[in-house]
Amino acid sequence: MKLELGFIKISDIQFSKECKVENGTLYVDPEAVKAFMYEDDDVKAWVKDFSFDVAKPGESVRITPVKDVIEPRVKVEGPGGEFPGVISKVDTVGSGKTNVLRGMAVVTAGKIVGFQEGIIDMSGPGADYTPFSKLNNFVVVAEPVDNYQEHKHEYEHAVRIAGLRAATFIGELGRNVTPDETKEFETYGIKEGIEKFPNLPRVAYVHMLQSQGLLHDTYVYGVDAKRSLTTILNPTETMDGAIISGNCVSACDKNTTYHHQNNPVVADLFEQHGKTLNYVCNIITNENVYLADKQRSSDWTAKLCRLLDLDGAIVSQEGFGNPDTDLIMNTKKIEQVGVKTTIITDEYAGQDGKSQSLADADPLADAVVTGGNANEVIILPAMDKVIGTLDYVDKIAGGHAGSLREDGSIEAELQVITGATNEMGFNCLSAR
Amino acid sequence: MGMIGNPHDFLILTNNPLVMDCLDGRGDYTIEYHPELNHRAILVKARDLIHKGHILYTHPLAGSVKPNETPYKSLIVSLVPHGMESEHEIMIGNAIAVYDKFCKIDWSDNEQALRDFQLIDYTLLCGAIGYDAAAGLSNKNH
Amino acid sequence: MSFKVVHYINQFFANIGGEEMAHVAPELRDGIVGPGLAFQQAWKGEAEITKTVVCGDSYFAEHEKEAKAQILEWVKAENPDLFLAGPAFNAGRYGYACATICKAVQDELGVKVLTGMYEENPGADLKNSILIVSTANSAAGMRKAAPAMAKLAMKVMKGEKLGASVEDGYMNQSVRVNFFDKERGSKRAVKMLLSKLADKPFTTEYPMPSFDRVAPNPAIKDLSKATIALCTSGGIVPKGNPDHIESSSASHYGEYSLAGVNELTEATYETAHGGYDPVYANADPNRVLPVDVMRDLEREGKIGKLHETFYTTVGNGTSVANAKKFAAEYAQKLLKAGVHAVIMTST
Repeated sequence: MKLELGFIKISDIQFSKECKVENGTLYVDPEAVKAFMYEDDDVKAWVKDFSFDVAKPGESVRITPVKDVIEPRVKVEGPGGEFPGVISKVDTVGSGKTNVLRGMAVVTAGKIVGFQEGIIDMSGPGADYTPFSKLNNFVVVAEPVDNYQEHKHEYEHAVRIAGLRAATFIGELGRNVTPDETKEFETYGIKEGIEKFPNLPRVAYVHMLQSQGLLHDTYVYGVDAKRSLTTILNPTETMDGAIISGNCVSACDKNTTYHHQNNPVVADLFEQHGKTLNYVCNIITNENVYLADKQRSSDWTAKLCRLLDLDGAIVSQEGFGNPDTDLIMNTKKIEQVGVKTTIITDEYAGQDGKSQSLADADPLADAVVTGGNANEVIILPAMDKVIGTLDYVDKIAGGHAGSLREDGSIEAELQVITGATNEMGFNCLSAR
Repeated sequence: MGMIGNPHDFLILTNNPLVMDCLDGRGDYTIEYHPELNHRAILVKARDLIHKGHILYTHPLAGSVKPNETPYKSLIVSLVPHGMESEHEIMIGNAIAVYDKFCKIDWSDNEQALRDFQLIDYTLLCGAIGYDAAAGLSNKNH
Repeated sequence: MSFKVVHYINQFFANIGGEEMAHVAPELRDGIVGPGLAFQQAWKGEAEITKTVVCGDSYFAEHEKEAKAQILEWVKAENPDLFLAGPAFNAGRYGYACATICKAVQDELGVKVLTGMYEENPGADLKNSILIVSTANSAAGMRKAAPAMAKLAMKVMKGEKLGASVEDGYMNQSVRVNFFDKERGSKRAVKMLLSKLADKPFTTEYPMPSFDRVAPNPAIKDLSKATIALCTSGGIVPKGNPDHIESSSASHYGEYSLAGVNELTEATYETAHGGYDPVYANADPNRVLPVDVMRDLEREGKIGKLHETFYTTVGNGTSVANAKKFAAEYAQKLLKAGVHAVIMTST
């Protein structure tokens, strides 16, 4: 499957009546975006209002609580459309041409639950820990209808759809723009791949998806990953939004939709594809709470690795606690069928860094990359502007009562920063 | 062997009132409700049963909300002993160790946050037993 | 105003002599001796070695108490900003001396310390207590070790926050420390996998803790016919601890007869374990070694019999290697005596 991505560099966002992308600036009418979002019945039913804002790199701005981050893209040639099974129809994506508005993102914000869900600081020490401080962010703050407390599932769904619709609306503005840069990505069928690269090790990416319940879900072509059996995906499908995030907890190691669209393992495997390895495919698997599901999923992951005659696999996980068990189960079983693994995780080694980092372990997991210790305490200075709300920041993860200090600064663990210890290896943060 | 995996064999240990409100009497499982026990005490209760040969059906560390934050914990063990599984003993022991390494945060003065923690715990439980969480909320026992 | 440093070296680096001079007692010299020059040059005037302590490696090993006392006295009088020792590379007694004297200076005088040696040097056992720079395994590595140690020493003297062990070149202190790598995690993972696939060496960023799992034997079919032995790491010993089992880091185990003993009493047994409050174990040692309950079960026919010998040691701080050694030995004795199962109590 072959996909060409066309990158349109966005370096500024301006509100204006006319919606277009010109000379690296996105001109957009928030009212038009709002109208487009409200075309969806669920959004209409559960969201009282939206407000909009722009946050640029280097500004003294704090966005919180962050629900999702999405990159605007548009399918310009080939089958299907962005976010298949959710916004577009279920046609298989990942081929043809897709334009990408690079350098910006749609950020959805606003309370869904009463405890904190994520902070993006556009400057200051916190900015170093999130990749989203480097983007021009079009922020959509959602306000729920009055009786949403009894309908959190419906509200979460509505905000999720709204964000994807906003990204779709804005992505569409890039349809007829000539990209600044194009890049091609191609993977081959099993037989074709072996013939083309007879001497290169066959490598797949085992991509574990968070799948436990409200605020802990991932959707593949619109299907709840909780309900899915382990299966295969072409890597380029992820570039068209085949996987979207319904995961809001915990901020530091949840994969936003932006992470799924810009999966760094996919990108870095492609860098080596045809040179030092043959990138065969992605294997997606879930992280259910029910133990028999964990066993079935990991058995199937190993089964597929063996069936595909792989030499090696990179395994990434998502989330805290019980996914460590899936990670270790997957790693053990894959190693036991003779396929070598390297895994990516983050750590919860306590504020002093002395506790055991993972909830599970096995000596077969001998090649580990870490996204850092999420319990490390950081002081986030007050920002001039807050987009969203600071309600409940006083008690956010890792803080103690008094997390939010009088001067507006926040003392909390890295946990609270969106994307800080990402387990796909998106960041340079590590630990020893 | 036929019993294992059958909802008749599910014993739900919980301190979450929302689980009682939505799930009590709605399926073949048994619910043991302990509002007097805190998060850790529920884990310890499960551990004690595991030592007596009950097995775990769900992972004790469900969800990414940290154990020091949420006061609510529901998990499923077998109603009858099936022979002790050492893997499960290690799992529950590790879960308690994880609980102990986090600094505690007290949310008890925030009504809405407590209700949200109940909601998350409840939906994670529903995810495990294949129960439609949203539908359950509209259909509570009162 | 530059920082004041006291440097500790052995007889070899002080040019007094080799092995044959390792017995020399500590001497205090003014200024720099030997490798101190390399450090001072690296510091470019920001710090100065005002005194050098020279001590024979054998002397330190054989007269540790006196050596420590004398050196601490000198260091206290000089009141330096840093106490620097070595580097010792792979010289075992030198490394031990460097690490030990550093720990003493740090703990008893509150002076900042730094030393350097090869990872496998026995002195490296103290890496969690003091800062040890990782060096090559021979003095040929001095060209790299001196500047590395000098750099870290300056950071320490200035009170700057240290980076992760891998960044600043010191031995990992079993504390996870975050830092920003040059490359993102996914790239590091792809590189690591390629090395692994090519059977090339790679270093994991997180070494898994080793749990040394032992697969359980099959369950006993008929307990009523079984001989069960009691063993413990809780330190229960006959009153007076006749074999002097240590209260921590036990160097041996005890083997005692339970013939004619129906239960343990305060008068006849005690605990040697230094890691828990002994009051309740001393008042009723059955709490740690349940002889009384085992005798009940014996009488009731629930078990065949309680084995007439029990094996005991103290688990407090005892090394895994020793624990394995003891058990491997007495397990054979238990097998020979026809024991079917063991109840091992700990605390």
